[in-house]
Amino acid sequence: MDIKKVLNEATKEIEQSSNQLDLLNVKVAYLGKKGKITELLKSLKDLSLDEKKSTGAELNQLRGEVDKLIKIKFNQIKVEEINSKLRNESLDFSFPPPNSISPKVHPISKTFDEVITIFGSMGYSVAEGPDIETDYFNFSALNIPENHPAREMQDTFYIDDKDKDGKPFVLRTHTSPVQIRTLLNEKPPIKIIAPGRTYRCDSDSTHSPMFHQVEGLFINENANMGDLKGTLIEFCKQFFNVQDLKVRFRPSYFPFTEPSAEMDIAYEIVNNKIKLGQGDRWLEILGCGMVNPIVLENCNVDTKNFQGFAFGMGLDRITMLKYGLTDIRSFFSGNLNWIANNGFSIGDF
Amino acid sequence: MKFSYSWLCEHLETDKSATEIGDALTNIGLELESLSDYSSYSKFVVATIKDFKKHPNADRLNICKVDDGANTYQVICGANNVKKGLKGIFAKEGMYIPGTQIHLKKGKIRGETSEGMLLSERELNLSDDHEGIIELSENFKNGTSAVEALKLDDPIFEIGITPNRGDCLSIRGVARDLSAKGMGKLKPLKYEKIKKLEFESPISWSIKNDDNSCEYVVSRYFKDVNNTKSPEWLQKKLISLGLRPINALVDITNFITVDLGRPLHVFDADKVGKKLDMRLANSNEKILALDNKDYTLDVSSTVIADNNNALAIAGIIGGDHSGCTENTKNVFLEVAIFNPNSVAKTGRSLGINSDARYRFERGLDKNMVLEGLEYASYLINKICGGSVSKNTDAGKLVTNEHKIKYDFNYFNKVIGLDLEPQTQVKILKDLEFQINERSDNECDVLVPSWRNDVKNNIDIVEEIIRIYGYDNINVSVPSSSKDEINNIENSLVNKKFKTISKLKKTLVSNGVSEVITFSFHSNRAQEILTGDTSLKISNAISDDQSFMRNSMIFNHLESAELNFKKGIKNIQLFEIGPIYNSSQSQENILSLLISSQDDTNSIYKSVNFNFYSLTELASKLISSLNFDIKQFNISRSTSNIYHPGQSAEVHMGKKLISRYGKVHPLIMEEFPKLKNTYTIELFFENLPIETISRINSINITDSQFQFSEKDFSFIFEKQQNLYEVQKYVTGIDKNLIKNVEFFDLYESKDLGDSIKSVTFRVTIQSKEKTLEEKDLEQLHKNILEKVSNKFKAKIRT
Repeated sequence: MDIKKVLNEATKEIEQSSNQLDLLNVKVAYLGKKGKITELLKSLKDLSLDEKKSTGAELNQLRGEVDKLIKIKFNQIKVEEINSKLRNESLDFSFPPPNSISPKVHPISKTFDEVITIFGSMGYSVAEGPDIETDYFNFSALNIPENHPAREMQDTFYIDDKDKDGKPFVLRTHTSPVQIRTLLNEKPPIKIIAPGRTYRCDSDSTHSPMFHQVEGLFINENANMGDLKGTLIEFCKQFFNVQDLKVRFRPSYFPFTEPSAEMDIAYEIVNNKIKLGQGDRWLEILGCGMVNPIVLENCNVDTKNFQGFAFGMGLDRITMLKYGLTDIRSFFSGNLNWIANNGFSIGDF
Repeated sequence: MKFSYSWLCEHLETDKSATEIGDALTNIGLELESLSDYSSYSKFVVATIKDFKKHPNADRLNICKVDDGANTYQVICGANNVKKGLKGIFAKEGMYIPGTQIHLKKGKIRGETSEGMLLSERELNLSDDHEGIIELSENFKNGTSAVEALKLDDPIFEIGITPNRGDCLSIRGVARDLSAKGMGKLKPLKYEKIKKLEFESPISWSIKNDDNSCEYVVSRYFKDVNNTKSPEWLQKKLISLGLRPINALVDITNFITVDLGRPLHVFDADKVGKKLDMRLANSNEKILALDNKDYTLDVSSTVIADNNNALAIAGIIGGDHSGCTENTKNVFLEVAIFNPNSVAKTGRSLGINSDARYRFERGLDKNMVLEGLEYASYLINKICGGSVSKNTDAGKLVTNEHKIKYDFNYFNKVIGLDLEPQTQVKILKDLEFQINERSDNECDVLVPSWRNDVKNNIDIVEEIIRIYGYDNINVSVPSSSKDEINNIENSLVNKKFKTISKLKKTLVSNGVSEVITFSFHSNRAQEILTGDTSLKISNAISDDQSFMRNSMIFNHLESAELNFKKGIKNIQLFEIGPIYNSSQSQENILSLLISSQDDTNSIYKSVNFNFYSLTELASKLISSLNFDIKQFNISRSTSNIYHPGQSAEVHMGKKLISRYGKVHPLIMEEFPKLKNTYTIELFFENLPIETISRINSINITDSQFQFSEKDFSFIFEKQQNLYEVQKYVTGIDKNLIKNVEFFDLYESKDLGDSIKSVTFRVTIQSKEKTLEEKDLEQLHKNILEKVSNKFKAKIRT
């Protein structure tokens, strides 16, 4: 009996099996109840004790070896069979997906968020007021009397409905009425910003009948014009992300502040694009000033003990400047392509 | 306001350049809007085209031989007015062309060398004209500078005057302010008073209205004048401001309006009666004005009138009939003080924007009445000859100088800058305020007659800092205090903005884009949605923007339609913004629109968006605010925005929290291209902000023991609200019933029109143990019995 020969034969037959059934037959032929190796093991009983010992060990090793080869082959066949089955389930990875608009947050939302955060770090809480205002809150309380030329600085929308003074309601032309509402409802110290929608009847590439402003108001015992300058410079540095920022404050006129100022930021044109911060041209950013004592008195604030400053700026304008956008009308067009191009994904919001 | 450098210098003795003056103007609050300073244009010179021929490689170009008096150059030129002998303005290579903002390079144009350029007006920034190159008269010598040839040697300033500075609506006023800034010295006015006022005026005044709209009027009568063309100096001045010279009398009044800021009017004395009145207009009184338009007046307007007619609208515009022409022989000059309010009111109601109105509205220097009268008399007499009457007047001239008690420390407190009293006093004196010092800290300030806007202490502070310079104010940044940080943390509005950010993040991560649309919507939208008609915008820009919106649905459908037209098939957008229920009720809501076309992509085909997908999205939104939609009362929506059979409303108590559903087909008729359109409105302001702001609010019990599921099928009344069933089943054993989920709904004719068959799966799990079969059976039985009793439901087997 040649153990080696049996092993060779078995190895060959295992190798030649191409499916699980063949392999099972091989297994039965060698290791089954009447299998070759089983038969050999049975024949041991006819041998001498010594032979039994040595041949027995060899046969057991043979059985182990064949069993292992069958198991390996079995796994190979199984993987092969599954893969060949999966190949039939194949889908075309190269089929391109349909286009879809990537969802974004509107750039104005990003600006709202940043303005609230930056002023928040300086101690300003957020206040608000309605878009449909009374003539008194939008004008008279702010020291803009009827027939005053300053009213013509702003083209006002009127509503058919009339307020309790018999005057038509107006769409607020600025966020400044929130100053009045806050001063009437709260006691100083007051430190608020009020972002929101504002309206003027005007429409071209830089004017929209609806736009956004943020108002700021700081009233305490001693807030002065130096504080006003410092606050606004700090805001602009952070918002526009320019540390070395050249600015100028120049005298202006708003009936509700005195002295009044407008703040300009220097810019230059680099590669046909506006670069903010340096240069010899100026861009108007916002209007501001010390709150006119007449306004404080209109709101019953004691002007002997309290003073402060206010400012207002166009949020659409600073958004356009920051991101190089040119047509304010596209902000409100509802064009999803524009939003996808100019908006912010959640990670950046 | 516009003025030239040379005109300014007639009032201001100065050695400052136009640029320095321009900077100073901005620094004192007279914002320089533009300054045309052409001194750098002297490098461009007059040159002649001696000869030209067609460019061999370009039809529209010519090769010109150009002579600038010193050399001859070859210039390639594309202008259509190129001709032999043309004199134009020439720029050599290397020069900077202001209109195109480029430096000229020597180079070849289509293979031919070009050594310079003949310029158009646009290339010189003189106008928008780019039709051809500049053509000059033949008289100019080659080599003459462009500044001389084009008469650009007098820079023109254009400044913005804020409404408080009526005193600077004159060149003299601007010069006065500049002198206070140290830009030069104000010169005295150069004119002589008429030596002999020879006769009594045949025309007299009376002021008939007692509403103070005319305080004072004074006049002179000029006999035997010759109303010619104005002398050249006067014509040139008016032209430099873009005004058209008419005749001497009219030009003189226009000149004095700009030069002194003093509007006045000349009547042809032979066309008016002998007694003139200042009176209120009669109702529906008509006048043909100098602008050739008919105006109908009402009783609030003041007119100048004779016995028969209104001759002029006081302070605004003269009448055509009584105006001066070249044939005028006798003139009646009127100088008056009109009330700013009544001029403003009349001007606005008639829609007339005249130079006179502009100045009267902003308040005039009352001391300038007699000065203006004298100055005008001098010019009329000098230019037109004739003789001059004595004054005739009515009313009372009360000068408007007033006194303010001023505290020097107030400046330091408001500005945050210690400025010595003597520095403050010097600035005020430079501005011609008179000062009487009372003590070290206080003084009396007498405000000059032209500064109607300076009324109290803060106005004086402004005057001082305006001249001292805003740049000199020290900068400080007030830091935030603990109280302020607390205020922010507790502020409801801050919390609201956080909520809004949260909603935006939720939506964008669910594939919805944010839009912002106008707070208005159209007439049609208002009609269909039956909003409050008093929310109409009286002076709307267009019918599309004529009402304050009571819903965003129309704006969003319009946006969806726009995007559909751009080829976007799957539209998902939202807006967080205001809607208006009345003029005193505004709320911020979230409104979302999903409009999807039928999916034609057979490979990527997804399940079509439907009412149930919408419900899931609404529920997600509500849970992003820490609420569970199931805790609210949910019913069919009754709003006319929604499909009456595919919509729902969510209430918390009586407060509306959300509405959602398919958009009502009647609305969709307006947008025929859009299909399958759904909307959600979330009235997040009605939710308690404290819950929204909570960080950990969800409380799911987690158990390691085995769960079991059991399905139940019941036949309910069709109207049965399944949220109630869900709530009830969950309540049967709160400890064991983890979840009740509906997964099958069957309605059919066979079953009957008034009933529906519903299947739900109950998940049962204990926190303490694995439940035994008998516990489960007991619970199942319990559910079957209780549900069928409570809802009169039939158990389906």
